[in-house]
Amino acid sequence: MDKDLLKKTVTELSGLIKDKEVSPVEVTQNLLNYIDQSNKDTNSYISVTADSAMARAKEAEQEITSGNYKGVFHGVPIALKDNIYFENEVTTMASKIHKDFVSKDDATVTARLRDAGAVFTGKLNMHEYAWGIDNDNPHFGAVHNPWNPEKVPGGSSGGSGAAVASHSTYSSLGTDTAGSIRIPSSACGIVGLKPTHGRVSKYGIFPLAWTLDHVGPMSKSVADAAAMLTAIAGFDGRDPTCANVPVNDYLSGLNGNVKGLKIGVNEEYFFKDVDGPVEKLIRDRIADLEKQGAIVTTVSIPSLRNAEWVELATSLSEASAIHHSDMQTRPDDFGADIRFLFELGELFTAVDYLQAQQARRQLKLEFTAALQEVDVLIAPTLPFISPNIGDDKVNINGKQVDFIENCIRFTGPSNLTGLPAMTVPAGVVGNMPVGLQIIGRAFDEARVLNVGLAVEEMKPLGDHQPMLAP
Amino acid sequence: MSLPIKDVLAAKGITTSGDSLAKLESKWKEFEDLKGSLEGAPLDDFDLALKNTAGGDHHG
Repeated sequence: MDKDLLKKTVTELSGLIKDKEVSPVEVTQNLLNYIDQSNKDTNSYISVTADSAMARAKEAEQEITSGNYKGVFHGVPIALKDNIYFENEVTTMASKIHKDFVSKDDATVTARLRDAGAVFTGKLNMHEYAWGIDNDNPHFGAVHNPWNPEKVPGGSSGGSGAAVASHSTYSSLGTDTAGSIRIPSSACGIVGLKPTHGRVSKYGIFPLAWTLDHVGPMSKSVADAAAMLTAIAGFDGRDPTCANVPVNDYLSGLNGNVKGLKIGVNEEYFFKDVDGPVEKLIRDRIADLEKQGAIVTTVSIPSLRNAEWVELATSLSEASAIHHSDMQTRPDDFGADIRFLFELGELFTAVDYLQAQQARRQLKLEFTAALQEVDVLIAPTLPFISPNIGDDKVNINGKQVDFIENCIRFTGPSNLTGLPAMTVPAGVVGNMPVGLQIIGRAFDEARVLNVGLAVEEMKPLGDHQPMLAP
Repeated sequence: MSLPIKDVLAAKGITTSGDSLAKLESKWKEFEDLKGSLEGAPLDDFDLALKNTAGGDHHG
């Protein structure tokens, strides 16, 4: 097994493939051999599609050899979250109810990556129906955090987070309704980008909450996230929420220059009740950006005081509507934790939901105003370090508080507003990674990625690396 | 007068699992507290929180 090859980023690997220094067949076989071993520790894969991956790798090799190189993802093995459809293959949503579901279509993101020449190695574990944070799945088992296998990897895209962090995939996609890309990315020490709502088509992705759902990159580096966004973004008439706006080449636009960048810090919400060591790391990184020429200012967004209830009322109501029929007819087939959430969602009235949408609009207007004063907002992604698997409480400054509600406290607002938000590693506390969140203007992912690169170039993880890695 | 949670769910055809009722009541109380100042807030006469796009998706 070539461990150095496993640790390459997509952009590093693609250069080697393009220059024919390694072949897609060699890369894919090497990765499949490693997955055999690593998946026993992380449980990040629900299914490994070794035969079809090798067949696709051989096709890619022939295409590249004959001079038909398609770009960054050509011949690169990747795996996607198991709520993203593959044509004529099983997509389980990590559930009992959909364990044999076969889609007749690729999701749009799957099709775009397939067209870009990607080699799919399998489907990744997740919280059942993406409706939870700990990824302790009753049907497919718990996912283990590669930095410490006793710790929660975050969710709901926990398999994607653990697979990328353990180098069991070169890159991945997650979905994010209240933080499900950014939470596991933060907990697993990788880069996770929730694009602007409408930037990437959700066609062929099983919904959790229609108005809050997003799909986006989870990757080893900011450059990989930029390359992935470039590959999957763009208008799709099959998704009624998809926006017809221009797509940049996000990779070529990266330079990490933050001189003159205006950074907004919202103290009253995004720095309230944050565990001390986490807060210090985030403030240190903001200070580092200031040293590089960024201008830091405080901004006020009063409606954030309503954000937690608005997020809960919206997500719980929409999710319970989607699963209403199965809750009436086969509730015992759901895991106990999500069954409880679906019961909760049934309690909101139509008036509650509509009031939440009114408050949500006010929140959007205030974020828009704040982002006229500054270019980006910076905040912690999570206010704490991941707890142990099985814990439903988490420690913040000595207090035991609810894990789920505190998980989504800083990520949920960007699902309500639809604004782009990315997490990048900011450092390590107690050998566990901490993520810094960058929130940008609508469709301004290029700037968000660039600030992320500036943080990445500080090398905040130093020599620290996951325990479960090659 | 509000109905007990068990009755609200039963009216929707939802059977609660054995031990969830007490947890549901506790969590719902937390949510009511969280809603706080939003309850009873005056509506904006020109509120456009929801929209109806005539002619199909993706217009405007």
